[in-house]
Amino acid sequence: MVVVMQERATDEQIQRVIAKLVEMGFDVHRSTGALRTVLGAVGGTRQFDTALLEVLDGVQEVMRITEPYKLASRTFKQDDTVITVDDVRIGGDEVIVMAGPCSAETEEQVETTTAAVKRAGAKVLRGGAFKPRSSPYSFQGLGEEGLRLLKSAADRHSLKLVSEVMDISQLDLIERYSDILQVGARNMQNFTLLRELGRSRKPILLKRGISATIEEWLLSAEYILAGGNMSVMLCERGIRTFESATRNTLDISAIPVVRKLSHLPILVDPSHGTGRRDKVAPMARAAVAAGADGLLIEVHNDPDHALSDGAQSLFPAQFDRLMAELRIIAPAIGRSICLEPVARRGWGV
Amino acid sequence: MTGDLDDLRKRIDLLDEHLVRLLNARAACALEIGRLKRDLGMEIYQPAREVEVLSHVAEVNTGPLDTPALRRLFERIIDEARRLERLADEARTSE
Repeated sequence: MVVVMQERATDEQIQRVIAKLVEMGFDVHRSTGALRTVLGAVGGTRQFDTALLEVLDGVQEVMRITEPYKLASRTFKQDDTVITVDDVRIGGDEVIVMAGPCSAETEEQVETTTAAVKRAGAKVLRGGAFKPRSSPYSFQGLGEEGLRLLKSAADRHSLKLVSEVMDISQLDLIERYSDILQVGARNMQNFTLLRELGRSRKPILLKRGISATIEEWLLSAEYILAGGNMSVMLCERGIRTFESATRNTLDISAIPVVRKLSHLPILVDPSHGTGRRDKVAPMARAAVAAGADGLLIEVHNDPDHALSDGAQSLFPAQFDRLMAELRIIAPAIGRSICLEPVARRGWGV
Repeated sequence: MTGDLDDLRKRIDLLDEHLVRLLNARAACALEIGRLKRDLGMEIYQPAREVEVLSHVAEVNTGPLDTPALRRLFERIIDEARRLERLADEARTSE
């Protein structure tokens, strides 16, 4: 930690700050400059609030050097975390693609879409049964019936299932059906939900809040990790900016930033990130090239008639083509993507 | 020319050896003071004494290092002495 004193700070004020730091167990390195004094504080084991120092007379600024999150940080664990869901490894060499409809609507829709994403090389089926919609009048999801449809389709096609938990009251139910529990952007700072998920034994996919900084996002992950659940993957899904050409601005730079700051796997959702079908493939390609550990992509058998997020859902043939492109990009950065042979019908359609 | 450089570097090495001995002698003295402070129930950090040390150093300074430069160097020496006292204090407490 670095404490920068004001230009006109008196010796007494500086001495009081040093005394406080020594009392807190820090070793203080004083550096008297021509204009101002800077105090470097190293060591110290107790958790404390930097505000305690900021309010002392003569203090201009207090800067932390270490991150406020511990378990999520690369300093705590140097090796990448690999989350295993049976034979699916998230955070390893293989880029894992999770695809499927925004929400489960009918048995036929779920089955057709699941078969299509499996054929193209997805490893995890994504799909919602409880939908957090901006408007209370929009389609809210099928509930347990939706989960049942998604789970049986995933099982039939040997896929894992990721589905969103919106509220603690749904947790038991969704845990029964879903292999990975998703926390949506709107719930990223629902700390009671995060604490509860810390007690779950299922892996958690934590989306970045719509206007959350990377530090806030990692602090949310910290809540889950601190509760004892070490299987947390992060998912960038676009942040709110002044740009209105896309639904959100997908922060590709978050990928290398998170990979440097944290050991947790980082996924990207280009569907919500852009909100427009024609922008999904370019952003998915960019995400893989930038080092994402996985993708979350909305695919619908009939997007034009989807009950939610139709405009950002890919047609199965578009998804097929995207997967073929990703198979060329991934090896360029030493990654692989769905090594098993898949049916090649439909490419370029 | 090269001979001069070598001679001067040897002189620097010799002076560094002196400095190391002197710094350690000073640190040993500070440790002893730390023990006394503990026995007397005094705080490790004595700002008034640090000011005295720094002004004494400034008084006896003859250059070519100017007073602010000397002050910065001695601040580091004092920082390390304070750390040494803290470590010794912790070791005694855990005994």
